[in-house]
Amino acid sequence: MAKVYNWQLGREMDYRLEEAHPDRQFAAVFNINRCIACQTCTMACKSTWTFSRGQEYMWWNNVESKPYGGYPHHWDVKLLEMLEKANPGGQKWDSSQRGDRSPYGTYNGQTIFEAAAATGDENAIGYLPTEEEWTGPNLYEDTPKGPAGVPGVYHTDGAQLPEHNTWFFYLQRICNHCTYPGCVSACPRNAIYKRPEDGIVLIDQERCRGYRKCVEQCPYKKAMYRPTTRVSEKCVGCYPRVEGSDPLTNGVPMETRCVATCVGKIRLQGLVKIENGDWAEDRFNPLYYLIRQERVALPLYPQFGTEPNIYYIPPRWVPRPYLRQMFGPGVDDAIERYTNPSRELLAVLQLFRTTQTIIFRYEIEDGELVSETEINGRTWQMYNDTIIGFDRDDNEVVRVSVDEGIIERGQQYQNSI
Amino acid sequence: MQSTTRWTVTAIIFAALATAIVLTLGDMRLASSQTVTLVAKQADAEVPLDDPFDGVWKGAGPIEAPLSGQLVIQPKGGGDRTVTARALHDNDRLYVLLEWQDDTEDLLVSSQTEFTDAVAVQFPVSEGESVPSFCMGDPTAPVNVWQWKGAWQNDIDEGYVGIDDAYPNALVDTYPFEDEDVFYPARSAGNIFAQTDRTTPVDNLLAGSFGTLTQADDQIVDGSGEWRDGSWRVLFARDLDSGEGYSRFSVNESTNVAFAVWDGAKNERNGIKSVSQFLTLTLSDEIADSGGGIEVWQIALIAIGVAALTGALAFRGWQRSKQQ
Repeated sequence: MAKVYNWQLGREMDYRLEEAHPDRQFAAVFNINRCIACQTCTMACKSTWTFSRGQEYMWWNNVESKPYGGYPHHWDVKLLEMLEKANPGGQKWDSSQRGDRSPYGTYNGQTIFEAAAATGDENAIGYLPTEEEWTGPNLYEDTPKGPAGVPGVYHTDGAQLPEHNTWFFYLQRICNHCTYPGCVSACPRNAIYKRPEDGIVLIDQERCRGYRKCVEQCPYKKAMYRPTTRVSEKCVGCYPRVEGSDPLTNGVPMETRCVATCVGKIRLQGLVKIENGDWAEDRFNPLYYLIRQERVALPLYPQFGTEPNIYYIPPRWVPRPYLRQMFGPGVDDAIERYTNPSRELLAVLQLFRTTQTIIFRYEIEDGELVSETEINGRTWQMYNDTIIGFDRDDNEVVRVSVDEGIIERGQQYQNSI
Repeated sequence: MQSTTRWTVTAIIFAALATAIVLTLGDMRLASSQTVTLVAKQADAEVPLDDPFDGVWKGAGPIEAPLSGQLVIQPKGGGDRTVTARALHDNDRLYVLLEWQDDTEDLLVSSQTEFTDAVAVQFPVSEGESVPSFCMGDPTAPVNVWQWKGAWQNDIDEGYVGIDDAYPNALVDTYPFEDEDVFYPARSAGNIFAQTDRTTPVDNLLAGSFGTLTQADDQIVDGSGEWRDGSWRVLFARDLDSGEGYSRFSVNESTNVAFAVWDGAKNERNGIKSVSQFLTLTLSDEIADSGGGIEVWQIALIAIGVAALTGALAFRGWQRSKQQ
């Protein structure tokens, strides 16, 4: 086992392979607050990559209703239970000291890799989902959490902020293209690799021998076995688009299909610069800003230890203990910042789904004060700033203002459809 | 020699013989030995590729190879097993026959949690001063692995098992571009796992340390396996010389051979396996006699007889020394 630094945990951890990093890292922000679970992302992925025989059950992108939903069923609850069994009561964070390389403090519990050390038989703890667990990908859709231990009853005053008593939310999931992937460490054949140019994790379809160790040890369960080719497959991060080799891209990096088709405008995806084993300061890269600067978007189950690279703006109505378990101790600050967004954050949030081209840099032009209100007892002002996005070659690809304005449909167009 | 000394020597011989008998009859294993030699005699009849139970194998002297769990590298697993190995040649091809106990016949890899029974033989690619590590060889001393899988045998015997066989009631409207291999990337990449028209149940592979096992360019190993009454018998066959890069065999020469077994019912695959160390494989010009030969039970009977006789002599010697 090598020692590698995991900034999401704020400490070194054990990993099978030596620390190595790509030049850039595939990353995305999903804003849970805006998702309507239309599954357009899911179908965009399916109709691009997994429509063939043997891929029927493969949903490289899925949207599940939390707390009960999950695909495969209860994947996260099972992993959390395994961690708890390995290290009872020990999955704790110390968030008293936070820094640039430990933005959420320090995780003092065990990762999936460390929890496997007790027996030493495996590189990580995990399990192989059954056939039944791979059925019903949207089981428990829209099923809310009511009073504990009282089935079929919901709170009549369920929807009071800051935390709803009756709640559910949608969790959008793709492969996290982790910095320390469970699948890569699990593969005894070294058939899974992380691309040096963008950190996308791929299974070599020529080398894979269908052992399903990746299926077993990916904590997010995003590697899947295909019975028709007898090997495993996984989300490919739409790499022809991300690398700009798809003819549609005109040679510049373009967002993945699941991101580009998002109806609710919840997704923003890009490539962050990596230097000396960490994210290089890249202040005006929208992902760097949202994740490392403003810390409004958080990793999913950082305690698993794989340093996942899909980041979530947590849903602001959900009880905090649940969210802290899912996104770590950064939850309270993230919700506070999202609820009272700064001028810059509000502008950057406008970039979501305005262009398919990956935005590498943004600029903001100041605008007029357009509105003033009170949020949680504090005055909040909205400015009509304009944000401009630039592609890899620093060409402007989008220009959008905070205040979209109101356009009234003329009388002549009424009922014209 | 004084009678007491003579009595002591006799008693020691008696004890050694008794121990050997107990070990043999009880199938108990001592530390696995490097000196066990598997001799491939020349077959006295044609060796059929599709029948591992053919009578020609009566002429091949079996050896028992002890296997133990792979505990060197993750994922670890497997356990103690015994493989009965036999070998023959016909001056053109080498035949290796392996037999081991397995209560279940695991032939499918069609569902998420099914794994297949499998067995492999491993040889050094080149004979040299030093034997490569039995753990998948060394970077400078690669190994040639022949791996048979029950699932591949089933594909050959029953036809390729596809999604329609595994889920006969599943309903799908249409599969677009069904005939285009590019949508079956493993097949498109030439991965032998994705083949739908197998001609051999044995994969020919090369490795030069852990994690490097790679399918060879030439799939040139034939074979067949059959499960009968709780045991597998699997036959491997290949030309003595298949060219540069693969293990070569010559009559009156020796090389090394190791075995590995996987039980699909126990989710064994990859490093989760039972392995032997390298044994010696010698190709002899002696003709195998499949018409008869001494069976294991006959050897045991003779050993018991000898032990009983020695014991009787020793007892008589002890009585005599007591009388004096």
